[in-house]
Amino acid sequence: MSVKIPTSIDQLPNSNPRFIGQEVNRVEDPSLLTGRTQFIDDLVLPGMLHCAILRSPHPHAKIVSIDTSEAEKLEGVLSVATGKDAKELTNPAPTAPEGWGAYCLAADKVRFVGEPVAAIAATSRYIAEDALELIEIEYENLDVIVDAHKAAQDGSPLIFEEHGSNVMMQRVFTWGEVDQAFADADHVVTEKYRWNRLGANPLETYGCISKWDLLENSLTLWASVQSQSHVALGRAVVLGLPSNKVRVISQPHGGSFGGKGGFRGPDIAAILSRKAGGRPVKWIEDRMEYLGGGAGQSWDRHYELSLALTNDGEVTGLRVKLLDDLGATAEAFGTVSAAKPLAAFVGCYAIPVAEYDLTMVVTNKLPGAPYRGMGPPPHNWALEQTMDVAARKLGLDPTEIRRKNFIQPSQFPYIIPSGNEYDSGEYEAALDGVLEMSQYKALREEQARARQEGRYLGIGVVNTIEPGVFDWNAYAIVGVQGTGVPEGVTIAIDIMGKITCKLGFSLEGQGQYTVVTQVLADYFNVEMADIEIVYQDTLSAPPHFGPGGSRLGVAITGASLGAAEMLVDKLCTVAAVLMQTERENIEFMDGFCRIKGMPDAKMHFAEVAGAILARSDLLPPGMDPSPQATFAWTAAGRTQADDQGRAKSYLTAANACHVVLVEVDIETGHTEILKYFIVDDCGTRLNPSNVEGMTQGGVAQGVGAALLEEYVYDEGGQLLTSTFMDYLMPSVYEVPMTEKKALVTPSPFTPLGAKGAGEGSMHTTPAAIMCAINDALSPLGIKAHEVPAAPNRIWSLIQQARAGESR
Amino acid sequence: MDTTRKIQMNVNGTSYSDEIDVRTTLVDFLRVNCGLTGTHVGCEHGVCGACTILWNGNAVRSCIMLAVQADGSEISTVEGLAPGSELHPIQQAFMEEHGLQCGFCTPGFMMSIYEMISRNPDPSDEEIKDVLGGQICRCTGYQTIFKAVRSAIDKMAAANKSAAQG
Ligand code: FES
Ligand code: FES
Repeated sequence: MSVKIPTSIDQLPNSNPRFIGQEVNRVEDPSLLTGRTQFIDDLVLPGMLHCAILRSPHPHAKIVSIDTSEAEKLEGVLSVATGKDAKELTNPAPTAPEGWGAYCLAADKVRFVGEPVAAIAATSRYIAEDALELIEIEYENLDVIVDAHKAAQDGSPLIFEEHGSNVMMQRVFTWGEVDQAFADADHVVTEKYRWNRLGANPLETYGCISKWDLLENSLTLWASVQSQSHVALGRAVVLGLPSNKVRVISQPHGGSFGGKGGFRGPDIAAILSRKAGGRPVKWIEDRMEYLGGGAGQSWDRHYELSLALTNDGEVTGLRVKLLDDLGATAEAFGTVSAAKPLAAFVGCYAIPVAEYDLTMVVTNKLPGAPYRGMGPPPHNWALEQTMDVAARKLGLDPTEIRRKNFIQPSQFPYIIPSGNEYDSGEYEAALDGVLEMSQYKALREEQARARQEGRYLGIGVVNTIEPGVFDWNAYAIVGVQGTGVPEGVTIAIDIMGKITCKLGFSLEGQGQYTVVTQVLADYFNVEMADIEIVYQDTLSAPPHFGPGGSRLGVAITGASLGAAEMLVDKLCTVAAVLMQTERENIEFMDGFCRIKGMPDAKMHFAEVAGAILARSDLLPPGMDPSPQATFAWTAAGRTQADDQGRAKSYLTAANACHVVLVEVDIETGHTEILKYFIVDDCGTRLNPSNVEGMTQGGVAQGVGAALLEEYVYDEGGQLLTSTFMDYLMPSVYEVPMTEKKALVTPSPFTPLGAKGAGEGSMHTTPAAIMCAINDALSPLGIKAHEVPAAPNRIWSLIQQARAGESR
Repeated sequence: MDTTRKIQMNVNGTSYSDEIDVRTTLVDFLRVNCGLTGTHVGCEHGVCGACTILWNGNAVRSCIMLAVQADGSEISTVEGLAPGSELHPIQQAFMEEHGLQCGFCTPGFMMSIYEMISRNPDPSDEEIKDVLGGQICRCTGYQTIFKAVRSAIDKMAAANKSAAQG
């Protein structure tokens, strides 16, 4: 049957919905709050061994020899693995573009500091780590390349000799008559930007237990993974196992933000398990391993961005040139982050033509991984900051230049030059809302007064699009294939009338089990406590992907509603027989199958479900006696990418406008955030407190990006920020307590009108803070175009400006 | 040199003793030897605060203490906050104010907050910030945690008042 999914709350079969759209308590919380939720490191299996990994101290070196004989002799050590085993038993990691992966244990050479070279499984982690010290390795150092510009040049040391170059991809994508637009422009503004490496750093690092059973030819993997089916497929490819013999069991995990992919660890533990006769092997990444060798470094980028403008500030063309440093390999899928900006290339603006000149290189640093936002946050900063530079040049207020260029509400659905379609939006209303909330004029006055007193206040006004509900086609330009990301659930009613919903992802923090519970409780008009969410592993669940790309809230709502519609159709068919009428006379409302026009002629769904299970004598012939339904949702209307990468990819375009006031201390270079205001429009809010949590959490990560977080490699390829003492995470002292307001422009295309919101402010906050800092420093003629704007960096800029003045 | 030692401690009112490697950290002892896995490890180098527990009433980071240092002491962990089926007011406040997302940091936060409120039932915003400043949460951006602390303080004051009146 074709299923029609409600696109607004008032289309639900409930005359008085009590849960959806409300700030209900989360069903996840009682167990989390009492320490009962079982995270991966809490899980203990019979016969389980513990893995420790030996990592390369060199950024680029040939492995001459490895001697593990002493380690093998240590009491408690059960298996040892090196690159030789990896080569014999596994395949290199699959990548997009193809052919830039490596074995899970370095086979012939190491390509970055922290690369795994050997591993031990022992009866305790303490013993496994002792054993690492007994392994002898001889290396022969090779020339090191850490600079992306140099890496791209001919004659530079090669990370992958077989490719003859460090350039993974170089292409210019042209969308419209860009040369013409720039030739015709009254003004062209070009600026350069540097975004340094930072990363997800969920509070729980990665962890897994691998059990490779030779007899069964199967792998069971318990792990803290974000997208379990994707991880399962990867393991089947890497370990050469049939896909239906790989079972991934995703444990609840302590945050992900893109970083819980399980880079190498599961495969290393699998080899050790196989060599230990199939005993389960646990590997828990420690924080230093995460920082230096995990899936936690993202966005090492060099930008040049140009705007073509008319005299009155209309933007007529956009050029973006990106040199993206992906580190040593493409195996952690950082490459998709360079493709994702296509989903919202022109931000909130009706810029008619655009060009993307993209170069991706490999260097001797940790492979780049996804992080919340998946690539647009640096792009958004470059675009928004250049809008400010242009405004300053044309004598416009930052709000004016934005207002002049907004896509208007009447233009939706709107196709941007890079091919994606925006569903709906009210960008000017969001701007006006936040200007009013922040009392923008008064802020400008405050700024002027402060300047009189010799203080440097700055205001950032930034608006962005958060592309929501990702689709694989969004990443076609880097070689990802496919269209559609099915997300499925199975809903069942038991003989006592209680409802279970089975799905294929575990807890991560966004509260999606609560959302499903809200949706189903209202759909069936029961209490939330009457709905039980049941997690299923990769071999049990219907087709699924899980969280990622600001997608799951919308997708799981669609799946739940689709399955509910199917199940209710069956209930109504049976109710018609039981009430001796035709199917078309039956409707479902407030939990009852009832005869249209006869409000008292009705049966509760539980009663009908009970009859399906226990009264086969009453069922229509041929009906299977099972009150359950499975439905997988994917976004409709998605298209294959054309040769310029253009596709309808991300289904929704949420919008946010932030206003931030900062003060830069020009003696120390320190930035303090004084006030922060947000208007956010992500369509219908299924659970407003979930959304606010995503928004505020994104602000925190955005503050980290703009001011604190940076992975620093020295010229020799050594990581200098390998603990939380050097890699600075935002604390309550740095993160502003924001004032927020919601604007609700429902999506016309999605279940209940909701839009993707999970990446939240990460798209906006870094740009907003940087624009504010640049606003503060503009009287000194300073452009701070490198993040993070750490005090030392800003202080140096101030010193240079002063030296320039006194000359 | 003797590398093992027998130790004993009371955790949430229950006595645990075991013969352990002297290098065993306190958090490993609690999680592995006592099976109390509600205390989490986020950094293992004393920065994030996820592993915070109470040691003789003081909030400490159990990842940078050795178990032998806690021999003979009284320990409280998150499992001790709500031994029955009712949540502790701090837990209740975290739930109502959405003070958690992934919940991995939360036990550490709650133990620090518990210690603060036991020392000072009426802390100022600055004092609260001072305590929260020692804990890292990657998910929430702290705003709802701050609200949860305020709400927990009110709940506990109300409970004390009604206990005193009753
Ligand atoms: S785990 Fe102890 S402070 Fe981070
Ligand atoms: S709730 Fe996830 S780290 Fe705090």
